[in-house]
Amino acid sequence: MNEDKFPGHKFLPYILITPSIAVIIIFLIGPFIQSVYTSFFVSTTFGTNTIFVGLRNYIRLFSSPDYLNSAVVTFKFAAFVIIVGLSIALAIAQLLNQKIRGVGFYQVALIWTYAISPTIAGVIWASMFAPSTGLIPYIISKISGGYTLNWMTNGQLALFIVAAAATWKMLGYNIIFFLAGLQNVPDEFLEAAQIDGANPWKSFWRITFPLLSPTTSFLLFVNMLYAFFQVFGLIDIMTHGGPGNATEILVYKLYRDGFIHLNTGSASAQSFIIFFVISVVAIIQLRIVTRKAIYSR
Amino acid sequence: MNLRKSFLIVLVLALCLLLSVGTALAQPVTITFWHAMSGSRLGVLESIIEGFNATHPEFEVKPLFTGSYAETLTKYVAAYPSKTGPNIVQSYEVGTQTMIDSNAITPVYEIPGMLGETWDWAQYVIPITNYYSVDGNLWSMPFNSSTAMLYYNKDLFEAAGLDPNKPPTTWKEMEEYGEKFLASGVVDHVYSTGWPDWIFEQVLAIHDHLYADNDNGRSGLATKVVFNDDFGQMVFETWTRLHDKGIYIFGGAEYSANTAFNSGQIAMLIQSTSSLAGIIKASEFKVGTSFYPRFEGYPVGNSIIGGGSLWVTKGQSEEELRAVWEFLKYLGQKDIAIQWHKGTGYFPVSGAALKTLLDEGWFSEDQAYLTAFLQILSGKRDTAASTGVRLGPFVAMREDLVSGLEKALAGQLSPKDALNEAAEKMNLKLKDYLELHGK
Repeated sequence: MNEDKFPGHKFLPYILITPSIAVIIIFLIGPFIQSVYTSFFVSTTFGTNTIFVGLRNYIRLFSSPDYLNSAVVTFKFAAFVIIVGLSIALAIAQLLNQKIRGVGFYQVALIWTYAISPTIAGVIWASMFAPSTGLIPYIISKISGGYTLNWMTNGQLALFIVAAAATWKMLGYNIIFFLAGLQNVPDEFLEAAQIDGANPWKSFWRITFPLLSPTTSFLLFVNMLYAFFQVFGLIDIMTHGGPGNATEILVYKLYRDGFIHLNTGSASAQSFIIFFVISVVAIIQLRIVTRKAIYSR
Repeated sequence: MNLRKSFLIVLVLALCLLLSVGTALAQPVTITFWHAMSGSRLGVLESIIEGFNATHPEFEVKPLFTGSYAETLTKYVAAYPSKTGPNIVQSYEVGTQTMIDSNAITPVYEIPGMLGETWDWAQYVIPITNYYSVDGNLWSMPFNSSTAMLYYNKDLFEAAGLDPNKPPTTWKEMEEYGEKFLASGVVDHVYSTGWPDWIFEQVLAIHDHLYADNDNGRSGLATKVVFNDDFGQMVFETWTRLHDKGIYIFGGAEYSANTAFNSGQIAMLIQSTSSLAGIIKASEFKVGTSFYPRFEGYPVGNSIIGGGSLWVTKGQSEEELRAVWEFLKYLGQKDIAIQWHKGTGYFPVSGAALKTLLDEGWFSEDQAYLTAFLQILSGKRDTAASTGVRLGPFVAMREDLVSGLEKALAGQLSPKDALNEAAEKMNLKLKDYLELHGK
């Protein structure tokens, strides 16, 4: 088979992919194995003493209310980002899919949030909601006659704000893909539906949405990865996982335990657990959801 | 190749060799210094280092800002196995036990002997050196030490009908003044604090109350915390009550409460003395300072040190060590210590510096700077409870305490339960630390 593509060069294909494989092994697989190994030990900060503890790190995590809280927070956070984010993005994309004046401007205005860094997004939302000097608490205290909107003492509020910031940031990305997906819906189907007397709501759910399913399933997957892994910067800037552990998503707890508390054993165990969970969810998503997606033509 | 060409090549190579040897001979001994001084403190530190480099041409100190205290320590830990770390590193005070147990540093009290010199350690401020000493020997060089004090807005005091020269002395007065403030409508909330975990430690220490056993971890590794008794509960209950009345607003960890104070949103702030220069600059009102409040009728201890110190990495060559030692001595000199104090508000480490500051009238210009000194120098210094806490997993434990405080303030748990829950988590961490470092 090789001779077809590389006539006369038996080993060339292997040599060509060696650099990529080497990078993957050195930077991904190697550290991963090392991390799993570390998760079975406890060690001092500077490595002066290491003790094998078997599964103790894992058992401690699963019986720790803090870790379970972290898992619940992550789940709520991801659910918000995915469900609210995709719904709003789809609605906006639907609106942007019209031929109205200035649609180019609107598109850019709604999409550019994706281009800013998580840090900036975090700073913007943190300043907006700063308890004593922020705009929103100020407005709310004026409207409600003195109620202080202080996310520092209200965990649910803090989680909401962080989730809103993360969703806002990802809106641009979701909108682009939905818009592209919408533009691929053939007009003939929609016209035919109109002739048959379908109202916009029905034609959306029966025609547009099913035809969008490849896009939707792709975005579901990407948003899930985003909500789990890529919001670290946002949380670090805005709340540092606080108040209490109200916004301490799994990845953030890992960071705190590993890099601030210098507890490498627990952090390694946590990273393996996250890896395992994500792998399972990814497999489920890619198999089941993608299989159900309808591809036109 | 012909002979002439090869001769030229050899000549050029020889010249290069000579040049490189020549420059090597003229190179000063360079040492690297990782620190966590950000903001305005960075500028002051860099100008001090430039001064050292200029007056000591045979040495060159290369400073590197490596992020927050936690990030600096993490980087140091990561660099340790590959021996690519700095010669000197600044660690926060909560990292002291970790550094002592690290096997990565040379205690500073050994350095003069290693270089054939002697040094008088008593010239430094005693409460500060006490903190960083083990069995009476100094392990790290004090550099940026602070304590906590009460900042207050004199203008707001007047506006609320209170005497701007009579800030509250006790927590009872904090409550009374707080109620007057709220009644006057001048502010929505009356006070906040920075570093709530540290302020809790301060309240214990000012009343000579131990935080953990084994003399606050100073005579041996601590095995459990001891603050969750009646006294600790009272502190938590007081703070919760003040919060529920709207007097105390929780400011978050670290320096976050300063913004509210600087912008006149709150009238009082219990915060590190190192914030003084920044607060005076950022505020547009008359800033007053005083000791932070105490509970009437309880024993007297002392306020405790915060900030950081400088640690010397083990295994350096003799010339590097000499450069390090000269730099550390330089930092402790009276004039440099005064320069550092004036630029940041941290204590000068040299005892002689205080006298000079008094003589030149530094405190008559602005009494606010004197409060910090009086706070740290006016209490006991011979009890473990007043010297400060030293714990291995201190960073993680402090978070458990803040978590507990937040739960109490949010009403999720009663102050007593919140305190006990925090104590339980903290004791588990101490147990783990003992397991790894147990003797």
